[in-house]
Amino acid sequence: METKEWLKAALENLSRDGVDYADARHLDRESESITVRNEQVAGLSRKSDSGFGIRVLYKGSWGFAASARLTEASVMDTANRALEVARASYLTQREAVKLDGSQPQRGSYKSDFEVDPFTVPLDKKLGLLFGALKVLRQDKRIGVAEGSMSFFRTDKLFLSTEGAEIMQSIMESGAGISATAMEDGELQRRSYPDSHGGDCLARGYEFIESLRLVENAESTREEALALLSAEPCPADTTDLIITSSQLGLQIHESCGHPTELDRALGTEISYAGGSFLTLDKLGKFRYGSKIVNLYGDATIPGSIGSFGYDDEGVPAQRFPIIKAGIFVGYLTSRETAPIVGGQSTGAMRAQGWNHIPLIRMVNINLEPGEEDLSLDDLVADTKDGILVATNKSWSIDDLRLNFQFGCEIGWEIKNGKRVRMLKNPVYTGITPQFWNSCDAICGRSEWRLWGLPNCGKGEPPQTMHVGHGTAPARFRNTEVGVKK
Amino acid sequence: MIGEEQLLGLLKRVVSRSPAERTELVCMGGRSGLTRYTKSAIHQNVIEEDTSVYVRVAEGKRLGVVTVNRMEEEELVQAAARAVEVARHQPENPYFEDFPQPAQYQKTNTYFEATAEFTPTARAETMKKIFAQSDRLGFEVAGAFSSGEAEIAVLNSNGLSAYQPLTHAQITIVPVSEHGMSRSSAFSHDVSTIDFEGLAARGLERCALNKDQQEIPVGQMDVILEPSCLADVIMWLSMIAFGSSSFIEGRSFLAGKLGEQSMGDNITIYDSIVEPEAQGLPFDFQGFPKQKVVLIERGINRGVVFDTMSANQAKTKPTGHGLPPGMPHGAIPWNVCLEPGDSSLEEMIASCRRGLLVTNFHYVNGFLDPKNALMTGMTRYGTFFVEDGKIRHAVKNLRWTESMLRAFSNVQAISREREVISDEGGMFSVMPAVYVKDFTFTGVQKEELD
Repeated sequence: METKEWLKAALENLSRDGVDYADARHLDRESESITVRNEQVAGLSRKSDSGFGIRVLYKGSWGFAASARLTEASVMDTANRALEVARASYLTQREAVKLDGSQPQRGSYKSDFEVDPFTVPLDKKLGLLFGALKVLRQDKRIGVAEGSMSFFRTDKLFLSTEGAEIMQSIMESGAGISATAMEDGELQRRSYPDSHGGDCLARGYEFIESLRLVENAESTREEALALLSAEPCPADTTDLIITSSQLGLQIHESCGHPTELDRALGTEISYAGGSFLTLDKLGKFRYGSKIVNLYGDATIPGSIGSFGYDDEGVPAQRFPIIKAGIFVGYLTSRETAPIVGGQSTGAMRAQGWNHIPLIRMVNINLEPGEEDLSLDDLVADTKDGILVATNKSWSIDDLRLNFQFGCEIGWEIKNGKRVRMLKNPVYTGITPQFWNSCDAICGRSEWRLWGLPNCGKGEPPQTMHVGHGTAPARFRNTEVGVKK
Repeated sequence: MIGEEQLLGLLKRVVSRSPAERTELVCMGGRSGLTRYTKSAIHQNVIEEDTSVYVRVAEGKRLGVVTVNRMEEEELVQAAARAVEVARHQPENPYFEDFPQPAQYQKTNTYFEATAEFTPTARAETMKKIFAQSDRLGFEVAGAFSSGEAEIAVLNSNGLSAYQPLTHAQITIVPVSEHGMSRSSAFSHDVSTIDFEGLAARGLERCALNKDQQEIPVGQMDVILEPSCLADVIMWLSMIAFGSSSFIEGRSFLAGKLGEQSMGDNITIYDSIVEPEAQGLPFDFQGFPKQKVVLIERGINRGVVFDTMSANQAKTKPTGHGLPPGMPHGAIPWNVCLEPGDSSLEEMIASCRRGLLVTNFHYVNGFLDPKNALMTGMTRYGTFFVEDGKIRHAVKNLRWTESMLRAFSNVQAISREREVISDEGGMFSVMPAVYVKDFTFTGVQKEELD
């Protein structure tokens, strides 16, 4: 309570100093990360991180200061330094920042969970991971068997000079396993349920148990071993079926990032890049085929891309991005939304107390197909093609046009059947060309929401937890393999 | 900044009160500021102050790590008690013997008052001049300018005590015209050594060249890669090949192949904290003294870096490249350097009959086929077609997909001049420009439907 009073007093002082606007965020985060590799605990740490940040808008210019020292004097000093920084920004101002008319909120939000992962004994967590690794390592060609878990509990308070007062508490849990098979200089990896640490949801330890890591270890191992003798993915132009988690990353890179309005306005061009989705394209550009519908939604219970309010205090919401293939909306903030004639979509998020909020993805999802097409149906409907699963490599240009993704595993499809496994599948394309070639999306029963806890953006770099809901989809005439 | 005497005094008291058999404290903290700009105006301006302590304890061969960002003595003692609880529930680590013993460190000069005292207003005033410089040419400027001070201390129950203050100043200038962009950047521990006006002038000159980009057919082509491109590629090699874990687990192209030739005999890559262009942190995050490690010598695989536990596992000696406690990655090189050659960027361009000058890479990924160091990425901020020894015109950004073993086997020339490319954490690489024959391009940045 002391903290809240100090922060409120600091904001009152800033108001008296004549700032246009100021907000304060205090954040407490507990985290635990465990990585086991073969017979060893490769990494295990528990971290407590707390502090506060104060953001000031002075004569239309921003300043931000943050400190981990939680004393009344430090709060006042940090507020003054935020103002000093804003005054420095003002020295180069060419256009004053104006915020939208979002109403200040007073409220709270708490994510649901059944079992607090921080109360689960370490022995139990390690036992589960080592149990899965034991199955993975039952063949000596598995050179590296790895499992990991990560847990986050975040409590944050948001206050503003406009009168906002919001408390949020979010619990997140994630886990995954992988097997790397090695033989005669060949190296192939399979991961479950996804690569890059598995899957992560805003749930408790019950989510970890629901993943059934031990039960899925055998198939993970066997696919890694089978890849050792698989044929390489040929260089070709063919129909491509992308399964759910890889399609999530495809959406992330080729739709999520380019529809962040700050990128489109140029505030990231010296680092992460800009966007081919320039303002003139809004409402008229054909981004994809008519069956492609993408939307942002921060209200989905249980996702790490969900919350009650963003880090500007704007309520979580659902909003369209691509409607029947047409680009119709950006992810926006209070500063940028008026530029495209709207109100913030509630997408301003900060990694921690010491970071300013930036426009970040929430859950960026692909609507499932209207018919309840299964993955098997989609394969059966494909004469010649390749099916790929689970991300291995990713790269996209600074405007989010030319991409190349590598996957852990592929299968060649002939006359509606998977005929052989392929190793090192890679596909490449140009974003609008690619999404316009989408001619089939599986139905609701194949749709799954994935958590991606490592989205990077901004300077200093910030890592954000985002979500992607997808169903497998088919893309006609896609370039696969690497042409020599 | 807490300061050496006060910080080490606090850590010493915590170690003496720790309930663990053995205790190691790694403290990292400081004050940093970052100013970002676009369209020749500051749009983001931040400062932060934070200090974290990694408390690692050992109970026999069982290790536990707890990290906190509170600096009260009682909080740190409690963190040590929590780390003991973590340790007791872990299996034994057969490769842990002890925390390092006290050591002598090489003296490196990484702290400069002028940088520590550089204020947000000073950063804004500097940028105002650069904005005026670009206004005169009708260009806008984007980028970031950061500066700050940090301190790193390691102290353990064996009596090891290490402390190093660091400052950093790093600027990126991205001039933007209606036709294209360029990028120039500088890093120094001492802000007073950065020639801001000269840096901006070089960026503006390059930006003027980057216009009327033509599309060229993809395929193999000679390239002249500027130092920034090499830094991106070397960072990936550090992750997939030059670290202890990838080597021990057989994922690195060096695994089982030490002494074998994997690159051209003009390529020597090493990790070093004292170079003519830059100096680094003299110890790792265990307080072990950093050694110079030759990774590739005249194209031959020579070694990788180790911390104490990975060295025990590999039955070799630590090299002083341990990461902060609790991280699962093993040891990673921090200050990778490519030995300079006897050429220059100008001579490489003059010698090129038909090829490309690539100023920057973007979004490099090295996970395609790590055993062959196969990577992909894009070109960015200016790619230029060179013919008969002259830059002819800019080209559209290109995707490349290439094995770095093949590329580093095809290096025809290396520049004498090198650049320091760094981040705020004390990591840096020192890279020359190189001329590579037959580099493989596989795609073009374009929006139009074919």
